[in-house]
Amino acid sequence: MIEVRGLTKTFGPVAAVTDLTFDVGPGTVTGFLGPNGAGKTTTMRMMLGLVAPGSGSVTIDGRPYRELRDPTSVVGAVLDSSGFHPAHTARDHLRLYARMGRYGSDRVARVAEVTGVSAFAHRRTRGLSTGMRQRLNLATALLGDPRVLLLDEPSNGLDPEGIAWLRRFLRDLAAQGRTILVSSHVLGEIEQTADQVVVIREGRLVTAGPLSELYGSASVLVRSPQADRLRTMLAAPTEILSSEVLRVHDLSAAEIASVAAAHGIPLQELTSERPTLEQAFLHLTGGTTP
Amino acid sequence: MTTLISAEWIRLTSSRIWLWGGVAALASGAFIGLLALAGPENFDPPLPPLDTAEGTRVLLGLLGFLACLPALFGTAAVASEYRHGTVTTTSLFAPRRWTWLTAKLLAYTGAGLVYGFLAAAVAAAALFAAAAIDGVTLGLPVGVVLSLLARVALTMAVYTLLGVAIGALLRNQVAAMAVVGGYLYAVETALTMIPGVKALYPLLPGGATAALTGFTYLADAVAGQTGEPAVPLLSAPAGGAVLVGYALVAVAIAVLAPLRRDIT
Repeated sequence: MIEVRGLTKTFGPVAAVTDLTFDVGPGTVTGFLGPNGAGKTTTMRMMLGLVAPGSGSVTIDGRPYRELRDPTSVVGAVLDSSGFHPAHTARDHLRLYARMGRYGSDRVARVAEVTGVSAFAHRRTRGLSTGMRQRLNLATALLGDPRVLLLDEPSNGLDPEGIAWLRRFLRDLAAQGRTILVSSHVLGEIEQTADQVVVIREGRLVTAGPLSELYGSASVLVRSPQADRLRTMLAAPTEILSSEVLRVHDLSAAEIASVAAAHGIPLQELTSERPTLEQAFLHLTGGTTP
Repeated sequence: MTTLISAEWIRLTSSRIWLWGGVAALASGAFIGLLALAGPENFDPPLPPLDTAEGTRVLLGLLGFLACLPALFGTAAVASEYRHGTVTTTSLFAPRRWTWLTAKLLAYTGAGLVYGFLAAAVAAAALFAAAAIDGVTLGLPVGVVLSLLARVALTMAVYTLLGVAIGALLRNQVAAMAVVGGYLYAVETALTMIPGVKALYPLLPGGATAALTGFTYLADAVAGQTGEPAVPLLSAPAGGAVLVGYALVAVAIAVLAPLRRDIT
């Protein structure tokens, strides 16, 4: 469990994060969303003790990151700007950090295999593509077989095949019961992988909860030659779009069909309408893409 | 700490910096051999010949003057953490930053010691070989020569420590190397020319090094140029103590200063 409480950070006159409070529950994939500059990266760095908060706290399994015993066996992190020594091979990089974390060579081989790094382990990092670097970052984060993963824009630089691979990979990790917090600007990716979302804007929490709640209430588009009669039968908020078309809120298509059938009202169309994640996100964050 | 030091050793040996360091150490020692072979008396201006105590000291002191090279290697090695952004991953694996900084300081001091003794061994072999080829005997007893070379090797280790500390403080690799190289090779020598300020020279890193290695040629040459008497250097043990003092202060600052810095 990650607990973020009243987190605040200012850089000079700029308030990067303000009084941020949310939880990331165990065994879930939580999408961390916000427009560019919303404070996602700063928040993640504060979670990992890289940036000192002005006030507030972050605990992982009850302790700040710096006080965790063998922290990389508890939390693995892929940060946007994680770097590599250009003269090191991918294997050198993994060996070095495996030694720092006191993990054996079997872990180096294992993470290289599951992330696909073994295919380019002998190559110097200066010659790696962005996608290869992201895989190497992920392999480094997995060295300690952590139960919590913090991933800052992990799909950056990945091609469509790489993104699909990452999605499957994160799903597998979550299925193993790991806690994953992933920030991304690719909403479709979050839609397909996350169970929960935390949305921030200008460093403040906008909403946190199940992804399904982010969409808001669904509506149903109804077309009927007796639309006006149907409207009086439905005990639900209704918008009249035309003489034959209604938009009905708070009722499912099945419920509307039952009412219509009970009163012998013919229906020509019954379409469930649900906002896309992008629409919901834009609504929440004031119109800019994350 | 042992784990972190061995990780630093992997970091060092996985890049080519150890190779270039080794080449520089060998070349430093060989350079002294070449100078010995050419004969200090043939320099311009001429120096005392190899078979005088003064002449042998000058050559050994010149090796000490090259102690800045391992300092530059130390600076480059640490500042590269910041340049290449690996400091983020390093800080995740060892969140108490003083631990990995201390491991770096210890690992690179060890590397500096290896560098120093390699350079000193090559210089010793080259000096004795050059003396044999020229058919002369070195102007100092073998024991004294070896003792001075050992002091030079230790000086190189301390300089490496200084270099590492400055690299950790400044973080910008180019700026850190410019500061270390510029200060040790140019600024400090220039200071010896300023009346009043030059009285501080024995207490500066270069002056302390000169005291430790018995190399007074630069101070004497400056004195000759300016017509003023050379500033007396500290005794060798005092010079060594001053040098170690600088290293300890640099280490303390290097370990304490980054603790509160944000890694963004």
